[in-house]
Amino acid sequence: MPAPEHDQPVVRLDAVTCRAGGRVLLDDVTLAVDRGRVTGVLGPNGAGKSTLLSVVTGLRRPGDGTASVLGVRLPARGASLRRRIGVVLQETALYEELTTLENLRFTAALYGVPNPRLRIDAVLELVGLSSRADDVVGTLSGGMRRRVAIARALLHDPELLVIDEPTLGVDVDARHAIWSHIRVLRATGTTVMVATNYLDEAEALCDVVAVLRDGRLVAYETPAQLVARAGRCIDIECAPHAIALVGRAVSGVDGVLRVDATPSGAAVFLHGDTPADDVVRRVLRDAPVGGFRVRAADLAEVFRALGAAPATT
Amino acid sequence: MKAAAAAVWAGARAEAVQLRRSPLLVMLAVIQAVTFLVLVSLFGLTGSRAPTALVDLDGSDIAARFVGSLSAAHHSFALQRMDARTADAELHRGSLVAVITIPRGFGDAVRRGDTVPVPVAVDNVDADLTDDVQRAVPTAIAAFARDLGLPGIRLHPAELDLVGHDTDFIPYLVISALALDALVVAGVLAAISVAREFEGGTARVLALSPVHPLAPIAGRVVTTGAVSLVALLLTWVLVVVGYRVPPVNPVEILAGLAACVVIFSCVGVAVGALIRRTLPVTALIFGIALPLYIDSGALEPERFDGNLIWGLAHTSPVYYAVGVLEDAAHGLRVTPEPVWLDMLALFGWAALAVAVAWNVLRRRIVA
Repeated sequence: MPAPEHDQPVVRLDAVTCRAGGRVLLDDVTLAVDRGRVTGVLGPNGAGKSTLLSVVTGLRRPGDGTASVLGVRLPARGASLRRRIGVVLQETALYEELTTLENLRFTAALYGVPNPRLRIDAVLELVGLSSRADDVVGTLSGGMRRRVAIARALLHDPELLVIDEPTLGVDVDARHAIWSHIRVLRATGTTVMVATNYLDEAEALCDVVAVLRDGRLVAYETPAQLVARAGRCIDIECAPHAIALVGRAVSGVDGVLRVDATPSGAAVFLHGDTPADDVVRRVLRDAPVGGFRVRAADLAEVFRALGAAPATT
Repeated sequence: MKAAAAAVWAGARAEAVQLRRSPLLVMLAVIQAVTFLVLVSLFGLTGSRAPTALVDLDGSDIAARFVGSLSAAHHSFALQRMDARTADAELHRGSLVAVITIPRGFGDAVRRGDTVPVPVAVDNVDADLTDDVQRAVPTAIAAFARDLGLPGIRLHPAELDLVGHDTDFIPYLVISALALDALVVAGVLAAISVAREFEGGTARVLALSPVHPLAPIAGRVVTTGAVSLVALLLTWVLVVVGYRVPPVNPVEILAGLAACVVIFSCVGVAVGALIRRTLPVTALIFGIALPLYIDSGALEPERFDGNLIWGLAHTSPVYYAVGVLEDAAHGLRVTPEPVWLDMLALFGWAALAVAVAWNVLRRRIVA
């Protein structure tokens, strides 16, 4: 007897491969996205993130393998599945000459949203754009347009929300605002898939992260596990002559992987479970430092740590 | 069905708002309808009336009757009376095609039954206009001789008209220009509307929605079609009032114009979906409009241009549109096919265009 739908993964990809023009865009990807979680799809440009999301949203048919979304095997022709999915594309794809309200009204009509005005007010409230309802979209900032796109994807109250690069081209404030909207969605039980280039974004938002490289799934684990593997990085602001002093200060310290020169000073890379405090203390003691910031390692470090390791799903 | 209707309505409303915020585009659509009308009128004006000086050195009543015959020669001269010196100067300055001189003693000589040479000086810089003059002078002389019952003139064509009225070149042209207008205005507006969906990425948003993308696009095209129809009606009013071409059948011309808008809008949708960029679609439609227009019976019934060209014309929707509109405006049958068949062919084109758009939208959006 099959499991009830709420026990099944919302998205299930089984050995999915996609090709285009002789290139392999997705290579034998298998993963399952659980209900009510935020799942990140992490990878550099060209890794296959958008292709994976296109398969999930039905914009691309898998060449090989099988895919199912919300219990429906893809490709699905019916409108009923599309009513259950909300999508924020990489490009915001809004009608620039229309106002925020007119854009949302148009989408509400396509999805047959009941009481559209009430629902539009609710989603605008959620993304903090109630006061910009009558603004023409072409006059909004990049961050605001992104939030309008998120509001549009939420209009029909989808069970699965797919967001491609949620903070692409937006400033820091808008980035945090968008993160907070996604956290609200997670709290309300919406299943979210997020494609991103940034490990810190995945760490801030996601319960689990699928890492893609060259179309292959190379890891599928929690952000904490990923950060533990990839380690952390201390960005140190200092003059060029002080870089050598920083290197000497951390030389021989357990867990320090290496020190790189950066345009603003130096970057000290730490093994995943190494506490940063002790390293920072040593640097401050031995070198003239203008400031420092501890952050997750970047994608390059993730891939360095992962090597060509197979995905652990 | 209800969902599709709601999507059509939403598309129509969204397009109306977008057009309202792009008044320049709407204005240009109307202006281009009128400019095409003017353009084709110029075709006719430049070739149909050769500026010709008339120098009457005789001044008799018989000379006056001869001038009347010259003036009545169809599509030939725009006669201007001048003295001999001015006429010669104007001819050499290039502002006249020909100078016709009625010599002194012309009236007396005609009364006597003498042969009278009528000097015609021609600027043969343009063989086409020169030919017109060379053809028209003997015709006018024959008509003149027939009117006076002069002996020795045997030429007596017995004209049997198929149509109960003559239609001048310009009135014929301006009606066929309406078909060209329909293609350009309705086609461009619809194509831009569709191409914009691809340029802005919103076509993918439509593909993700529960309705077929063609539903909201159909709504958009209803709005662009309404704008096109208004532009065409304004142009038609100009044809009726400005060019004094009242239609033989006003209802038929209205129906014909409306049908042309629908059909060429569908063609625009297909072109927009195929090309997916606003700038090239506009250039393409303008680029194909004139050849389609010329090879559609726009200047004269296409069957007069030989079987090959006439056969090719059947592949152009403008050919059928000209057939319908010339019948409605002048009661002319310019295609051997009956009007109902022309109309059927036009709707066949519309169905083909919708099928292409349907298929292309599906293929372009979903990889």
